[in-house]
Amino acid sequence: MNMAPMVQCMGLTKTYGRKIALNQIYLNLERGRIIGLLGPNGSGKTTLIKIMNGLLRPTSGEVLINGQRPGVETKLRISYLPERTYLQPGMKVIELVQYFQDFYPDFRLDRAYDMLARLQIPPQERLKNLSKGTKEKVQLIMVMSRDADLYILDEPIAGVDPASRDYILNTIVSNYNRNGSILLSTHLISDVENVLDDVVFIKYGSIVLQAGAEQIRQNEHKSVDQFFREVFAC
Amino acid sequence: MLGKLMKYEWKATWKLLLPANLVLVVMTLIAWWMTNMVEYSRAEFQMIDFMEVMVILTYVISMFAVYIGTAIFLIYRFYTSTYGDQGYLLHTLPVDTHHIILAKVFVSASWLLINSVMMIGSILFLFTAREDAFFTMMEGVMDVVEYMGGEEITMFTMVMTLVAYVFSLFARVLKVSACISLGQLSSNHKLLLSFAWYIGVYIVECICQGLFFAVRLAFQKHVSSWTYYSYYDTQWETTLLAGIIGCVVFYVLTWYVMSRKLNLE
Repeated sequence: MNMAPMVQCMGLTKTYGRKIALNQIYLNLERGRIIGLLGPNGSGKTTLIKIMNGLLRPTSGEVLINGQRPGVETKLRISYLPERTYLQPGMKVIELVQYFQDFYPDFRLDRAYDMLARLQIPPQERLKNLSKGTKEKVQLIMVMSRDADLYILDEPIAGVDPASRDYILNTIVSNYNRNGSILLSTHLISDVENVLDDVVFIKYGSIVLQAGAEQIRQNEHKSVDQFFREVFAC
Repeated sequence: MLGKLMKYEWKATWKLLLPANLVLVVMTLIAWWMTNMVEYSRAEFQMIDFMEVMVILTYVISMFAVYIGTAIFLIYRFYTSTYGDQGYLLHTLPVDTHHIILAKVFVSASWLLINSVMMIGSILFLFTAREDAFFTMMEGVMDVVEYMGGEEITMFTMVMTLVAYVFSLFARVLKVSACISLGQLSSNHKLLLSFAWYIGVYIVECICQGLFFAVRLAFQKHVSSWTYYSYYDTQWETTLLAGIIGCVVFYVLTWYVMSRKLNLE
């Protein structure tokens, strides 16, 4: 059994011209945990996530997923939800399901159709005919229908109403592979606080804290949300 | 995985490109019918001459529109599905970068090849409406080929010319892919930079062709004003060589950017 950390960042740095997006990140994420990657807008959350998924190349340093550099092997193990809609508008929902089943061996067809049925999304409907919120839910359903080792969810609850937030969080917690980890990036701490095992605070491209959620509550005598507001106060 | 990628690439393109090619077929049939009809009724109906011109004009415009539209659609499709929002899904699929490039290039080149075959077939079919015109055209084509190349046309030459054309077609598709990919290396104005790369590559190609021609010319005894053209247009060896070199260079550039410098900011 591979005992390497699920995610290992070693001196990870990313610059855009003169702007430093990530500055010497050292980070280990363990297996079987729900980890919140928390930071305000522009703190480097998405950049870090894109590097983990191989969508961006670091300027220096290295990231290892399950002991491997981002590539075909790591993509088999990561289920990634980006902060934007990546669906082809002309596709039908059923075609999208088929697409995921064709490419990901760990895709669970029954789970996908079950979640679609609960939301009353017709499989024959074209994605372009769905509302923005429904498209996001379809995308989440595809991602959570995999039995991945690592789920990387970038701002899954940003820009949705409170009722939808509950649905999304419930979907995530109810459907993920229990042997896997979830890395959930957000700046809406109060909504996700209760599901998190660990938190990573990121500020101006640097990790300022990595701790257990319970540990913060006990040591600081305040919620993660309150502590976050204190750390990131302007 | 290559087969699956190609399957979805076909699915994403055929819905628009198949009807476009069908339009070409319909326009060809209308133009053929019109041309055929006018020949036997020219004396009685003068108005029909005007209609024939309009139909032929529409036919020519539709042919250009389909060819240019196909090229634009394929470029747009490559850009959005590779470096646009859809690229987030494509590049997180557990597939090799080589497979991604091959699937896209093969499907795009196939559509352009289908377009070319349709256009040539359409023109030849249209000329059959008037037997005399068909033979005159074929004689003219043979004269031009002979005049420019001075080469005896054999079955081998024809096959190799086709092979060379296919290679040059793939090279053209890969050139666009490489330029779009190189444009992604910048943080800003990616599309503008892609266009600039295309212009730059075109200039380099022209310089290389000029140098190649100059070297060949140095070894020629007879030089005429047509020699320049003949060595590009009728000698399959030159086209094949340029096509193969283009395929290799542009493929490597596209692969390098996608696998080593991917930049989906």
